[in-house]
Amino acid sequence: MIAKRRKRSRQVKAWLKQELKEQQERYKKIVAEMEALSPQREQWIEEFFQRIQTRGFCVHKDIRRRIKPEEIPPRPKRKLRVVY
Amino acid sequence: MARPHIEPFCDRDVPFKKMTLPGFPPGMQYKMLSLDKDTGACTMTVQFDAGYKQPPGFSYSDVELLIMEGGLRVGEKMCGPGYYFFIPAGVAMPEISTKTGCLALLMYNQAEPSFEESDQDCDGADRSGLIQVNAYDDLYWQEPTLFPSTAPGCLIKILRMDEKTHALSFLYCMVPGFFQDNISYHDCAEEAYHIWGTSWIMQFGYLPTGGYFWRPPYINHGPFASEHGILAFGRTDGELYNHFHYNPYSTVEENRERAAARLLHRKPELYKWIVAHGHNHPTDFEFDAKTK
Repeated sequence: MIAKRRKRSRQVKAWLKQELKEQQERYKKIVAEMEALSPQREQWIEEFFQRIQTRGFCVHKDIRRRIKPEEIPPRPKRKLRVVY
Repeated sequence: MARPHIEPFCDRDVPFKKMTLPGFPPGMQYKMLSLDKDTGACTMTVQFDAGYKQPPGFSYSDVELLIMEGGLRVGEKMCGPGYYFFIPAGVAMPEISTKTGCLALLMYNQAEPSFEESDQDCDGADRSGLIQVNAYDDLYWQEPTLFPSTAPGCLIKILRMDEKTHALSFLYCMVPGFFQDNISYHDCAEEAYHIWGTSWIMQFGYLPTGGYFWRPPYINHGPFASEHGILAFGRTDGELYNHFHYNPYSTVEENRERAAARLLHRKPELYKWIVAHGHNHPTDFEFDAKTK
């Protein structure tokens, strides 16, 4: 592979190090923002559960299926994680 | 591809930085969207300043470029918004310049950004893989041909499909009032950039113009909606299969396990063959022979 033929210079290594540091900071900020969105997300989940029981769950294109109340998944005790 | 989960991120919230890597001419600024910690592969929003000029040359990585605003002169050809390029590693492009400036998405797929001045291809470069297309004017919007597929009102233009991995690069749009009430995950990483418009995803909220995500495999996303519609660029690093469900609480590990279980339902013969005989390092008579 052509990309592997090239040895990284010190300048390139320093650039990568700085960019990865900044990316880590961006990631932490995203995690904090998504944590702050949790109460709103809980409401959106409730609304989603309502819609799939009335308007229906999208199976494929315009094919929808109404989900029965007993099919709604229970909320687990663990914290809901959206960013991995 | 070892990039972290960057979702959501909006490039409008950060300033441009000058490109300082060796080989690149002055007048190129960038905003880093995501970066692979191992290879240096990355996706950037790039501003080529008015008067920017890059001599003929190549990169040591496959490069993808989508022009979003302004224009670039590539050799003798003037390329405006919607022009998409896939430039295989080592393939030399002619001089690139802009009189009035240009805003683009720029992706390096196997390594960090690099530029080597040359009017000839690097040894081993595969020029047959070069793609240059005006995606706005020369391609039609299509209904996705995926099974299961997205809800009506989400349309795509395929820009590139990797023959071996089925990785895709594509434009997609959502019509005003689009909604899709399911949760999805894929076996591949997925990346997208909003060229225009705002969409909503239940897990991540609203993604506006300039919004971006790099999402590793098996991460829940959806339901989706867009009030006024969107135009976006997307990529995957493998075959895009929609694993739809309605459990917002499932984890990446549970989703991966479910995907494997579903493989048993969809491709039982293949699944049984792999599991029953320990065929966990299968040989591809076509592609493996090419890479040996």
